[in-house]
Amino acid sequence: MSAPSPEIAVEDLVLADRVRIEDLVDREGLEELCRSFVTLFGIPVRIYSVEGALLADAASEHELCAYVNTLPQGRRACAATVSGVRSQDPGAGGDVARPCFTGAAYRVMAIQYEGRRVGRLIVGPFLPSDVSGPPASLLAVDPALDAERARALLQKVPRAKADTITRIAAHLKAALDLILFSGHKAHVTSQMHLASVRESYRQLEEKTAKLQEAFDRLRELDRLKSSFLATVSHELRTPLTSIIGYSEMLSQGLAGALSPEQQEFVGTIHDKGQQLLSLILGLLDLSKLESGTMRVRMSRIGIEPVLAQVVSTLTPTARKKGVELRMVVEGTLAEVKGDPERLRQVFINLVENALKFTPQAGAVTLRARMVEDAGDGDGEGLVLLSPTRTNLEVRVEDTGIGIPARERPRVFDAFYQVDSSSTREYGGTGLGLSIVKRLVDAHAGTVRIEDNAPQGTVFVVTLPPPAPTAPPEVRSPG
Amino acid sequence: MQINFGGREIALKLVYYGPALSGKTTNLRALHQLTSDQARGRLMTLETRDDRTLFFDMLPVTLRAEVPAGGMALRIKIFTVPGQVLHASTRRLVLQGADGIAFVADSQLSETEHNAASFLDLRRNLSELSLSLRSFPVVIQFNKRDLPQVRPDQELAMLAGRGREPVFKASAVTGQGVLETFFGLLHMTWTKLDAEHGLASMIGIPAAELLPMAARQLGITTDVRELLGASLGGRLDVGHGGRS
Repeated sequence: MSAPSPEIAVEDLVLADRVRIEDLVDREGLEELCRSFVTLFGIPVRIYSVEGALLADAASEHELCAYVNTLPQGRRACAATVSGVRSQDPGAGGDVARPCFTGAAYRVMAIQYEGRRVGRLIVGPFLPSDVSGPPASLLAVDPALDAERARALLQKVPRAKADTITRIAAHLKAALDLILFSGHKAHVTSQMHLASVRESYRQLEEKTAKLQEAFDRLRELDRLKSSFLATVSHELRTPLTSIIGYSEMLSQGLAGALSPEQQEFVGTIHDKGQQLLSLILGLLDLSKLESGTMRVRMSRIGIEPVLAQVVSTLTPTARKKGVELRMVVEGTLAEVKGDPERLRQVFINLVENALKFTPQAGAVTLRARMVEDAGDGDGEGLVLLSPTRTNLEVRVEDTGIGIPARERPRVFDAFYQVDSSSTREYGGTGLGLSIVKRLVDAHAGTVRIEDNAPQGTVFVVTLPPPAPTAPPEVRSPG
Repeated sequence: MQINFGGREIALKLVYYGPALSGKTTNLRALHQLTSDQARGRLMTLETRDDRTLFFDMLPVTLRAEVPAGGMALRIKIFTVPGQVLHASTRRLVLQGADGIAFVADSQLSETEHNAASFLDLRRNLSELSLSLRSFPVVIQFNKRDLPQVRPDQELAMLAGRGREPVFKASAVTGQGVLETFFGLLHMTWTKLDAEHGLASMIGIPAAELLPMAARQLGITTDVRELLGASLGGRLDVGHGGRS
């Protein structure tokens, strides 16, 4: 399999993923959350990741701490306490109290998510409710300490009972848990989304590859079919030439005079031979067109001589059938780009077809005119495009049996006839129109079928003008 | 299953599979409601606006070996898959790495074909993941027993007796049969994994103790044997049939 198998397994996403606060929560939001707690309770709050990185710090320094920090030994003691608190493990219970030499205290608590420890919450310093005055450790911390001032400042440190702190922390943790859950959910959703898009893409790629393979195989088969057809037609033609040639010689009496009956039989052999030859030539053309080996020699040509030639070629047939064959040219016809030989073949086929299906006393009209290309949109840029888009339209109108609308798209398929009974009545191989279609395609034209009210069919061949010549470029010097 | 020795954790994945709207999410909701939050976490649901599961639901349960010093934790993640046909690739993604499957069928007569189609879909998805149903701990739940026009009890009992998977009857909206199904699945999965990997000794509790321990930690007072006893037919104890 060329496409990668789904790499992100859900188990990786959800089963084993380590939830990290820093990945799921917006830092500033976390800080805001902590600040709101500080505003409410006046007690500093800090959040650390499980690795010990400070994620949110909403602590404002108490006046006592600021004062102690102005004294050299006080500063040292303070630093020692703070670093001790910072590295304090919350223990198995997830909640540890840590005293400060000033009499204040910290609480270090575990932050859990889905039963795993994801970080630490440090609350403090605050003044435990049972501390009434400065302890000896505060008074002795620095010889320069002003005891009275320390006492006064200590009273300014917010006071809290142990269970109050527990409640405050529980509330903060609950809020944080909710944020973590929402973040985690969003994270999982997006990962899942990615994984499922990737999986769908993989499936699509696989399918595309299979389709491509099937397509290539079919194309190869098609090519083989065409080349087989070409070979077979060629091989069939060789003996047929002898059949036609010898039957012709027989009928001309080169091998002795024939009785009228013999003459008739030989004539039939000759006619059927000719019929078979044209069928084989048609097949050959079709296979050449299909395999793309038919050469179309394009040049700028006028269509009128081509059509005139068609009419003169088929006038005897029409006369024989009692059908009127006309050619009408409306206005002046512009040149088209095409191969006159192939275009002649197109219109011979169409007119022959029309004659075949038109009963006696009917009429077949070959009408040529210039038409404006309506384009395929609602007239976008019509004003610009229409002057360059004047197509040549040749209509082959008959007054024959007509083609039901639902059959029209199929009549250009090889070997297709509207109904098989018509083959018996009118003959033909069903190759002509498919050859017409391919030849017109090769000229970048279109062929379609319209009604010829009240009776009959019109085959409309549209040929585009030669590519518009680009205006001479205006070159600016340099 | 994933074993994380450093984190002292074993992670299991149980998947609730089944056709659209058969009540997989309702099962998880009921399980969430029927258990205490001591051992189970929040129910994570990723739903579309029309109340149908988009990707999956997930309910985490963490059991801790009740030993004095640091037993391992057994983290069980219970997933549902999106039932709608549309989400085929997601179903396969969720199935990856599953240790056990609870197939939630809709008991209504009209849903019989959807149940079957979904089960075939499960089999196909497992085989794409190179897994075989035969080697998998699977329990089947016939949900929505409270509705009219459901497959009759007698028929279920008869078919369950002939089938391989234990069958549980449930009405997830009222919570009935939900714990039974979960414990049945946990039992089969645990039995199989213990046989293959010796989980019991790894975690440090006797094999037979896991289910009672799970019940205790989830705050369930019903006797585990009673829960398992609700199963119709099938073979609850042969989850360790080996890989085919």
